[in-house]
Amino acid sequence: MQEQLTAIVAGVRENAPKVQTRAEFEAYKATISGPKGALTDVMKGMGKVPKEEKPAMGKAINEAKTAVTAEFDAVLERIEAAELAAKLGPAIDPSLPSPDSARGTLHPISQVREEMVELFRRIGFSVAEATEVETEHYCFDALNIPSDHPARDMQDSYYLPDDLQVNNVSKEGDEKYLLRTHTSTVQIRTMLKEKPPIRIVAPGRCFRRDTPDATHSANFHQIEGLYVDKDVTLLDLKATLDHFVKTIFGPKAKTRLRPSFFPFTEPSFEMDFFSPDLGKLSNKWLEIMGCGMVDPEVFKAVGIDPEVYTGYAFGMGIERIAMILQGVDDIRYYYQNDVRFLKQFA
Amino acid sequence: MKISYNWLKNYIDLDLVEHSPEVLQEVLPLLGFDIEEIEKLGPPQLSNVVVGQVLEYGQHPDADRLRCCKVSTGNEGEVHDIVCGAKNFNQGDKVMVALPGAVLPGDFKIKASKLRGQPSAGMMCSAKELQIGQDHDGIMILDQDTALGTPVNDLYTDGDTVLNLEITPNRVDVLSHIGVARELAAKFGLEVNYPEVKASTENPAIGDPLISVVEVSAPEVCPHYTAVSIKGVKVGPSPKWLKDAIEATGQRSINNVVDVTNYVLHETCQPLHAFDAAKIQGKKLVVRMATEGEPITTLDDVERKLTANMAVIADAERPLVVAGVMGSVDAEVDESTTDIVLEAAYFAPTSVRATARKLGLSSDSSYRFERGVDPKGVTYASLRAVDLILEVAGGTVDGNLIEEGAEPPTISEVNLYPERVRTFIGFDISDAEMQSVLESLGLGVSIHDEADGTTRWEVAIPSYRQDLQRDVDLIEEIIRVYGTDKIPESEVVARGIGTEDHRIYTVNEAVANYLTGQNFNEAFLYSLRDPEETQFFFGEESHKVLALDNPLQSDQSHLRPSLIPGLLDVLKLNAARGTGATRFFERGHVYREVKGQMVELVSVSFVIVADQITREWRQREVADFFTAKTISGEILDIAGTAASKLTFKPIEDCKLWQAGHSAEAGEFAKMGFQATCGLLNIATLKERWDITTPVIAGSILMTPKFFERKAKRGRHTGVSNQPASAKDLALIVDQSVHAGDVEKDVAKFAKKATQGFNCESVRIFDVYEGEGLPEGKKSLAVTMSFRAADRTLKDKEVNSAFDGIQKLIADKTDYQIRK
Repeated sequence: MQEQLTAIVAGVRENAPKVQTRAEFEAYKATISGPKGALTDVMKGMGKVPKEEKPAMGKAINEAKTAVTAEFDAVLERIEAAELAAKLGPAIDPSLPSPDSARGTLHPISQVREEMVELFRRIGFSVAEATEVETEHYCFDALNIPSDHPARDMQDSYYLPDDLQVNNVSKEGDEKYLLRTHTSTVQIRTMLKEKPPIRIVAPGRCFRRDTPDATHSANFHQIEGLYVDKDVTLLDLKATLDHFVKTIFGPKAKTRLRPSFFPFTEPSFEMDFFSPDLGKLSNKWLEIMGCGMVDPEVFKAVGIDPEVYTGYAFGMGIERIAMILQGVDDIRYYYQNDVRFLKQFA
Repeated sequence: MKISYNWLKNYIDLDLVEHSPEVLQEVLPLLGFDIEEIEKLGPPQLSNVVVGQVLEYGQHPDADRLRCCKVSTGNEGEVHDIVCGAKNFNQGDKVMVALPGAVLPGDFKIKASKLRGQPSAGMMCSAKELQIGQDHDGIMILDQDTALGTPVNDLYTDGDTVLNLEITPNRVDVLSHIGVARELAAKFGLEVNYPEVKASTENPAIGDPLISVVEVSAPEVCPHYTAVSIKGVKVGPSPKWLKDAIEATGQRSINNVVDVTNYVLHETCQPLHAFDAAKIQGKKLVVRMATEGEPITTLDDVERKLTANMAVIADAERPLVVAGVMGSVDAEVDESTTDIVLEAAYFAPTSVRATARKLGLSSDSSYRFERGVDPKGVTYASLRAVDLILEVAGGTVDGNLIEEGAEPPTISEVNLYPERVRTFIGFDISDAEMQSVLESLGLGVSIHDEADGTTRWEVAIPSYRQDLQRDVDLIEEIIRVYGTDKIPESEVVARGIGTEDHRIYTVNEAVANYLTGQNFNEAFLYSLRDPEETQFFFGEESHKVLALDNPLQSDQSHLRPSLIPGLLDVLKLNAARGTGATRFFERGHVYREVKGQMVELVSVSFVIVADQITREWRQREVADFFTAKTISGEILDIAGTAASKLTFKPIEDCKLWQAGHSAEAGEFAKMGFQATCGLLNIATLKERWDITTPVIAGSILMTPKFFERKAKRGRHTGVSNQPASAKDLALIVDQSVHAGDVEKDVAKFAKKATQGFNCESVRIFDVYEGEGLPEGKKSLAVTMSFRAADRTLKDKEVNSAFDGIQKLIADKTDYQIRK
């Protein structure tokens, strides 16, 4: 019996390493430890072994079993490894270029717009939206721009025909439709819809009837800000815009409020800034936005009592800020969408 | 508005403060008058640069190249120590000396200091340093007989600086030299020196006016008209001072009389007109409305036809002036003129504006009248011009000033509460400071203590400041002159308001994040497109509704109905430039026609080149309809419509989309959204864009109202941890039947036939047509998944449900169950 065991173990040690596949392994394993396997046979013979030899015999069988199992485990491990390797294929060359296209990029104007919107959101502004098609009332009259103001010249705005009806843009009377020339229309639409306190920014597309050149584009984008509450002050306006400029253009940027005139704010200012870190544009005053305290006439037009509420408003061209920040000297690049241009700013 | 620095100094003694054109360049923008351009005429204006004499000089003890000089500028006993680097002078030479306080060109400020330890209180200058000449080899040596202390500009008088100011439309009063002087006087605390007028409105002793009558038949257009007659003028070239002044403002000098009228306009802001009295027929002037089609040849030599709502100044026969806009050649003052009639009047702003716009004719006069000149400034300007005409052209005033109508009423007082000013601006300015600012602007302040303890100011408004009507207008004045640079810096105070962002913005933001993550690049395109394109893709009705009333360019005359054509332009450009980019999207508004009306829609569109356009070592699968379907569904999902609820219908005949390979779901007019996706029309792309690769695209349209839906918050419904049980079914259906309909039917039956547990999902997982199937049929394999909330399902109950489903299919549909 001992010889049989020794022979089985020796046989397994010799043959197991030759087994290549899982199927071969299962078949071979059956010839040893299967129901009719050699080792199983020996174990079945234990009953005929004299009582005094049983302990020694038992020990021998266990040793043989351990030895065979170890062999089988090794074989199985080897086969599984081979199977995995076959499944995985050859090792990769990590230096090969990825065949997938690269992540897309937000348009540079979107990037700047988002940066600005995020900045204002952090100080309590929320985003408002309105349509691009507007009427003379919401674009001009309600903003205290009278009908003989130069801004209303046919030369400056794109109008829609008199007989046109726009299904989802409301009119005040029988005024003309036009493409909004500024995002200040959102001020009016918002104040008509909501009660103070109101603190919004409204980014959006605007249209002016300008001959396109390096700084003019048939459509462009603005961001409008409006804060209406009891006791909103000029000091608040300056604090907010200073914060904006220093966040966008860096802490070294200086600002100044240059008195100006807009029909919808009084007092009105142009904000200029000055920065040492702007390449060619460094160290000179650059005009970046119009702003001021909401004119009482505007409040009257939307039914807010100017004796109770005050407010400030500001508006700026997103392309203008983007051009300064990104060093772009021709607005038309933004509308060509050459991907090599688009990807320069992320 | 061009302001001559020399001219300006007639009305304000700038020598009392540190001044130079450069100082004004700093000061004026902060007063609200931005400078568009600065022109230097001749040598610059320099203060504290005077003639001096070198009394003695010696070597600098510590610097070989420098000399220490003692220089006199004429004041007895006063000797200036000046260290100088030039060597081209001798003792006794007369030189130009810049004394401390002078600012030389290039913003070079002269201060008393020490040079290498020796005191130096000034600088002897070269011609170049003073911008008088190009010579900078040494300092200027002047003639010996030049008087000590003479300012440089008295020796070199031709210098001037012209500031071209951008004047906002509310400040007509600053469209004049006196107006600018008033602003500077307020800022610097100086007096305005108004020119004194010698002429009088009443001259009964000296005969009769040259015209007998002035009739005003259009008082609403011309509430106040004056005319004064001057006899015996000698028309000729203007004297140098007048010519220089006129030319500094960018005009051409015409003759002494015309130049005076223009001078007074630029001095006071009041436009004037001089008629050749001999050319006025019938000895009368009439202010009346023009007759329809009445001709006039204006001074720019253009014959114009007037309309009945334009006012004219006419004689007995014909119009001589388009009121407030421009005179005609018929009564022009020229070399032969000896007698003149000088008009000064107030014309209503709206009328002048309408006339100027209609004629396409803007003049210095109309520009001022349409902004509203000083209603009480007419007579002063007229008399001032009389003075100047008598001075430069001679002649005598004949008779009284003829006056028709009266000065229009003006606002005279505005209430201001100093406490409210402080509340409004949010920082402290004392009453005294505010009062001093207002008074510096010529506004009178009278203080009233009200019964309730508040202080009310009655602020008197001068007639030339009719823009000041409300307290906020006065607050602007206070801030402007007080100085915006003195508004304190402070922290942002942001009390939470808690309004939500508009969903159009947040959805767009999320969509852009999703699409850039799917390798799309964002493009920005113009909203205006070619009319031919609109008509080609969207037909005649859209073409009509989307047209602008006043396009600028014929190929940008229509609002875009779709973002796709623009994106194809982008693909074309990138292909032509070989950038290798294949995926773009745009977010933007588009416009559609619905029942003859326009609707503005929010849109997102994307395009994908469905071809390997770059060579890669490993090829990826190209995009197909289902790529676009997934992306479109995800976009709508982000916008708030469950993608699983979309039913895509194939597109049949379309110029933009390829029939049989594109589909559409939703309808914006009824459901608020619409998605179209798939392959773009191959022939159209080739024909219009020369794009030969297939392009897969998607276009999502959403009405603004669609975004007003409130998003529903999800509620927990429990998730079963019991095992699922699956059943598959193959159905043979007509080839024309849509898999989506089959899936829906099976889901419906499964719901019906399953009791006590759930059919969790029904999904088509295989489509087969071909061998083994009858002609015109296809086989759809459906898998169903069943699960109970509380137990492992028994085969028996699942089978019973499965049988029930099959029975329903057999009873209710034509689908054949494949065994």
